[in-house]
Amino acid sequence: MAAFDSKTGSNLFSIGSERLALLGKHHKALMQGYLDGFVDETAFSDIALKKLINARILWRPDEQQPLALRPLVSELIASMVADENRRQINADVAEKLEQIRNRVQAYRDSQFKGDYSVAELQLQRLTEHVHDLSGQFEEAIDSLWHRLNSDFGFVSSLDDKIRENERAQKQLRRLLDGLDLLDFTELIELAEGNSHLRKLLVSQLQSQLSSHHSSLLEVQKRLIELLAKFRQQQSRSMLIANMAAFLRQHPKYHPADYANRSEVPNLLNQAVAIVPQAAIALDRSSERQLLAELVLSLPRSVNSSLPDQHSASFAAPFVDDAVAARQQALQLDVENFYLRVIDHGSSLSALDYLAQQQLAWDGEIWLYQIIAEYQALPVDEKQMFVMLRDEAPASAMNSLLLIQDISISLQAA
Amino acid sequence: MLQHGALLERLLAGSFICQITDEDGFRHLSNEQTQQDINHYLRPLNRRLVCNDDNSVYFLAYHELNKTAREHLSSQFTLTAQSLLPLLEWLQLVQETLGRDSALTAGDTIKLQEFVLRTEDNQSLRQRLNQLAADRFFNSQSDALDNQVKLIFRRLKEHGYLLQPHTDRQYYIVTGKIDHLIDVIRFIRDEEHLPVEDTPMQDELI
Repeated sequence: MAAFDSKTGSNLFSIGSERLALLGKHHKALMQGYLDGFVDETAFSDIALKKLINARILWRPDEQQPLALRPLVSELIASMVADENRRQINADVAEKLEQIRNRVQAYRDSQFKGDYSVAELQLQRLTEHVHDLSGQFEEAIDSLWHRLNSDFGFVSSLDDKIRENERAQKQLRRLLDGLDLLDFTELIELAEGNSHLRKLLVSQLQSQLSSHHSSLLEVQKRLIELLAKFRQQQSRSMLIANMAAFLRQHPKYHPADYANRSEVPNLLNQAVAIVPQAAIALDRSSERQLLAELVLSLPRSVNSSLPDQHSASFAAPFVDDAVAARQQALQLDVENFYLRVIDHGSSLSALDYLAQQQLAWDGEIWLYQIIAEYQALPVDEKQMFVMLRDEAPASAMNSLLLIQDISISLQAA
Repeated sequence: MLQHGALLERLLAGSFICQITDEDGFRHLSNEQTQQDINHYLRPLNRRLVCNDDNSVYFLAYHELNKTAREHLSSQFTLTAQSLLPLLEWLQLVQETLGRDSALTAGDTIKLQEFVLRTEDNQSLRQRLNQLAADRFFNSQSDALDNQVKLIFRRLKEHGYLLQPHTDRQYYIVTGKIDHLIDVIRFIRDEEHLPVEDTPMQDELI
């Protein structure tokens, strides 16, 4: 029996490895076939084609159809490259469960017969089945997460995303139903009295499946949230498109005056802006320092410093004490002149007064100061005096008027 | 109230606060106690804090609708109604130009250069953008595509629909105020029973 097994085993080994090598040998053409959905027959020799068909890698679904990859091969590739468009989720738990039951039975039978090498083999197969079952969920969960995390980016339109999301939710429900089929009391009974089986079927499988179960619930929650988001986006796009179309068709359309309804909806109740303003306050002595710093940091207008010009000396400020005293004396004399005018009552010539009083002022400066004093008088006092200028043109050719003398008289009241 | 001074100032100045424009402020405003405090503070100013249906954007409303408030709201609503079509057309144009599968939502980024590049080579998009830029809402006098686009985006920034994180970099982020706009449109549609659908046909759902 063991010899027979090893013979079929070696047979299987050689055929399997030979056929796996076929996949590698024609990898480019086969992958192209996966992408195109059919295989370009001219890319293979006749013998290669025959081998690929015999290896159940390629098949012809219909007489008229071109050769294509077998669904299982496509599925293998989809799973390897995580191609969510083609990846399949196998939610069939009942079949796996049936296999596990049968294997347990076979294992127990051979143990009972004392055929330990067969029992070992059966236990090996059983372990594979249990791992398959767990792996099936793992693969499905991986695929679901992958789709979720890419926001279903493998399809372009929102409608497709919504359909894909709904499909994923159906798959998820089938997976959850499949998990429900697993009855642990049954598995405990199956494992009764055997520590190997107990470990495999109860402790190991149970912890794996319960973690799958919580993963699935998490995925389900996220899928539902994402679907709600998709629906919201969809409805927003439609609202925008349809409202824009409506407004284009009805250019005269005006919505009602909601602002003057008794109840104004919050959405349309947007208060006018209030922009708080503040100015510098000097009432807090503690802030003086800060304010002074602020003032100091103000950018100052840079005066372009002109080189000193002596011609502008008349505008130089009187800083010299002697000059200031002379200025005051001049002013005093001019004031006396005005007082004399008031006393005198009639018109008085400025230069005559200067000569009469034997004052030492230069005539021009004297006249200038009298005019300046007159201009500086307040309006109502200015009206009390009449100023007559004795003027003559500078020359026959130049009509510039030069002041020769000034007469001041009291205004006849 | 002190710690919310800057936030209050922004609100009073008429800003819409959402997660994009002011993440911290938005978080504070989501707190019910803070809302109460702010409303209490705003009461003498005849203002109160409100948000849109999804609680995604906060702004200030009048507390009491006196005459001046109503006058302001009335003129403001007239402006909003006038701006609906240009804004909707802009939303559509961006969606189509950038080849997006859904409408713009808060947080989406728009690169100005990408938008210009894609519009440049497409006669019909170019045409639509031309019309949009000339609309009273944007009021562009320029014929140059670059200027038109810049103006449109600047106006939307001024109106608070877009945020420009770096003034020297030409990319914009859509703010939560766009949600408010959509809510306003939905409100008008519902209130006036406009024949504007926003749910897919029933058979498509099944």
